[in-house]
Amino acid sequence: MNTTTAIQDKARELLSGGQVTCVIGYEVGPRGRTRPAFVTRADDVARLVWNQECTHNLTTYLRDRLRPKGHGQTAEPPGRVAVVVKPCDSRAIHVLLAENQFQRDQVYLIGVACEGIRQGAGSGQVTDAWQRRCQACAERLPVVYDTLIGEPPEVGQVSDPWGADLARLEAMTPAERASFWLSQFDRCIRCYACRQACPMCNCPTCLYERDDSLWVAMRIAPDEKRAFHLGRAYHLAGRCIGCDECERVCPMNIPISLLNRKLASEMEAAFGFRAGLAPVLSPITTTLGGEEV
Amino acid sequence: MYEPKIVGFLCTWCSYSGADLAGVSRLKSPWNLRAVRVPCSGRVAPELILRAFDEGADGVLVLGCHIGECHYDTGNHRTAKRLPVLHSLMAFAGLEPERLRLDWVSASEGERFARIVNEFTQTVRALGPCTWRQRNPIPLMEPLPDTLEAEAGGQP
Repeated sequence: MNTTTAIQDKARELLSGGQVTCVIGYEVGPRGRTRPAFVTRADDVARLVWNQECTHNLTTYLRDRLRPKGHGQTAEPPGRVAVVVKPCDSRAIHVLLAENQFQRDQVYLIGVACEGIRQGAGSGQVTDAWQRRCQACAERLPVVYDTLIGEPPEVGQVSDPWGADLARLEAMTPAERASFWLSQFDRCIRCYACRQACPMCNCPTCLYERDDSLWVAMRIAPDEKRAFHLGRAYHLAGRCIGCDECERVCPMNIPISLLNRKLASEMEAAFGFRAGLAPVLSPITTTLGGEEV
Repeated sequence: MYEPKIVGFLCTWCSYSGADLAGVSRLKSPWNLRAVRVPCSGRVAPELILRAFDEGADGVLVLGCHIGECHYDTGNHRTAKRLPVLHSLMAFAGLEPERLRLDWVSASEGERFARIVNEFTQTVRALGPCTWRQRNPIPLMEPLPDTLEAEAGGQP
């Protein structure tokens, strides 16, 4: 039985049994591009697919799906939601659980053993190369799931696709690095696609989109765009699970993943911490003893 | 002669009193420091520090209570863990990390306050003016500088 059929069977079982109100998975759209799908009826499960273009991190959609409907005392609790998670996406579940964004019993995780995602997935121009995150991926099984679909694939040679770029940047002088980043950030149009695609960017009001904020303006000036990107990278320190969706959705091709990878390696060096391997908080939000207060 | 602009975020419970003590003790400390009184060093969000540099500061000094003496018990724990991460981010983004310093000064340590401000001012003066501030948009007509990927010969 292939992965697509297994996902469809599981979704049919969950929806017809009333265990979940919605299954978030992947479907192939009319133009042949794989895209997220929200299936709420058991009759529709045939839409669901699994292929090597399932690049989206579907845990991003949980923040809207699991928000109570309405306000105050009349608020209805949200229904349970099933979501298809790749190994990288499953790490986001751990971070969100640690941050109390939802409870474990509110989600049903359909874990998929993943052999990798192709470059260009979601854009309509798919190549044969694996995405960079897949070249660096050593864990091909989800870290948390309710049901596992697929056999653990063989992990080939794991490389460090960011190493060369990071080394080149670190060899520059501070002034050269500053002008490199400024030229990258200057392309930013502040569309906030990176923020919307990110499962960790879940503040109800973004600090960088407030009109009453005193220290981060919404102007499209180079330093404001730099403040936004550096601030966002900082907010993701110890939380970013490295799905690189922010970089994929960026219409201006800003190398956001370099910032995130750099901070992830700093967190690993300073605290021996990698985000999402267990449901624990980022070390920079806790006390020196490690406990939350 | 070049004189650096330094923004100091001082915790009101210890470092700000320490600065007061340095003043009433008539200790000499450089006038380069613009003191900003904050309720706790944990209040100093990284956005504030980046904003200070964006607005033309040459150095930022964050002073808080010694670990274990925080008025709010653990506010300075967070600062102690956060600022090293901001240091490495600043360095990676091209801003010399020496321009940001975190230290601890209690209310009774006027002398220590004066010494730290002196040291830090000398460090920043030696680094020279900060080129971080960038107000003018890069002209649209100018070709964009090559990205890393393009320089590497189009390798993805």
